Amino acid sequence: MSAPSVGGVYVFIICLIVPVFTYALVKHFWNAPLQNGTGYFFGVEVPAGFYDGQGRRWMTGYHALLAALYGVWAVALGAIVLTRWWDMTPMWAGGFALLFVPAMFAFQAWTRHKLGVNPPVRPVALALESRRLGDYISWPAEALAVALVALSWWLLLRHAGAHFDWLTPLQFTWAALGMIPGKMAMVRLSFPLPAERTEERYRFQNAARRFWIRLSGILFEWFLVVVLFGGALMHALSPMRPAPVWRWLVLACCYAVWGYGMIVLFRGMREMKAMSADLRPSGSWKTPFGRSSCFGMSRAFQIWFAIWFGGILAFILYPLCKARF
Amino acid sequence: MFLTLQHDDKRPIYQQITDGIKDLIVRGELREGMTLPSVRQVAGDLGVNLNTVAVAYRQLQDEGFVTVRHGAGAAITSRSPHPIEQAELYKPLRTALTELVLSGLTGREIVETVREQLALLQQKGGTR
Repeated sequence: MSAPSVGGVYVFIICLIVPVFTYALVKHFWNAPLQNGTGYFFGVEVPAGFYDGQGRRWMTGYHALLAALYGVWAVALGAIVLTRWWDMTPMWAGGFALLFVPAMFAFQAWTRHKLGVNPPVRPVALALESRRLGDYISWPAEALAVALVALSWWLLLRHAGAHFDWLTPLQFTWAALGMIPGKMAMVRLSFPLPAERTEERYRFQNAARRFWIRLSGILFEWFLVVVLFGGALMHALSPMRPAPVWRWLVLACCYAVWGYGMIVLFRGMREMKAMSADLRPSGSWKTPFGRSSCFGMSRAFQIWFAIWFGGILAFILYPLCKARF
Repeated sequence: MFLTLQHDDKRPIYQQITDGIKDLIVRGELREGMTLPSVRQVAGDLGVNLNTVAVAYRQLQDEGFVTVRHGAGAAITSRSPHPIEQAELYKPLRTALTELVLSGLTGREIVETVREQLALLQQKGGTR
């Protein structure tokens, strides 16, 4: 058995990503505005018959946005395959996420601005239960992640060559360890509870909070920690010329984490959809004290996201700017 | 356990929170030793200013319903708060009775209403 070539690894990555993204488009994104039924558009309450008139234009606009985003994604993939420039695969996958997430947020914000400017005021309920960080975050697991990152850096500092690209491990460390304060902000993220069907709504919010914390922990923390540690381990073993099976093992570990993340994602999305199917969505009403937000009310979360996401963006843009100037 | 704040309630927000928590204590749903969520969590969940919730908690503390320990949150102390002067205690009762008289209810109807409400409160809280 020979060791996997870089091109082979990237082809494997592409073969994993394409079906997952296509499934997400068909199963989740295409009809996302209708996830709360025909009485709502992206959680904003709309009048009866909306989808016979104005709603059609909104759906067409949304589908056009999706088509444009996926079009860019497909064209970029085609270019990589045709030119065999496999090194661009991480940029293609990461770049799509960086384009897709803000575009979807922007579309939802635009929807709320245009369709849900003045939602009805409703009584608000307050849950008198404390949300403690330890109930949602496993501190021993976080300590293990930090220890693995530290060990990876120790291995890299000892074994990486003079021409080693330090930007990638830095980027992975930023994204992975940045998830720890991110999870803490997610625990504190709050949405107003409506006074009707409060118990069900509370259970759904709690389940959603646990789901997003778990998912981001797998995909953005553990996946990157495993990739970083696997890479560092390979660098450390390279003078000993390790058997190809080691490289395959590291690769298998990375993709086991990724695959597990995908299972958690799609199963969780299905469960969340079932739990919230007949509940009034956040953002379709406002509390007596102000606007209800579909993005949550925690300023700490918004600040964390801006710093974390901005950092990742800076790591991606820095080499491009450096090459240009 | 939930506390509901109405949109047409004329009382200040801190007063609604204070009264709501007291109501849960009287009904026996909040018992001695149970902890309340932090000021930050309540303020975030309701979308109100931190100070508003802090004022409500301080009022509950002043009236002896909760003890606030820095870093440990607010805990329900007991169902018998610090003694309040009788005149102070009767003030809200007198206000409520005035409202009932002004609304045109007879003395018998008012007594009946008070008896019904008290029975309801005792039934929910299991108090005697």
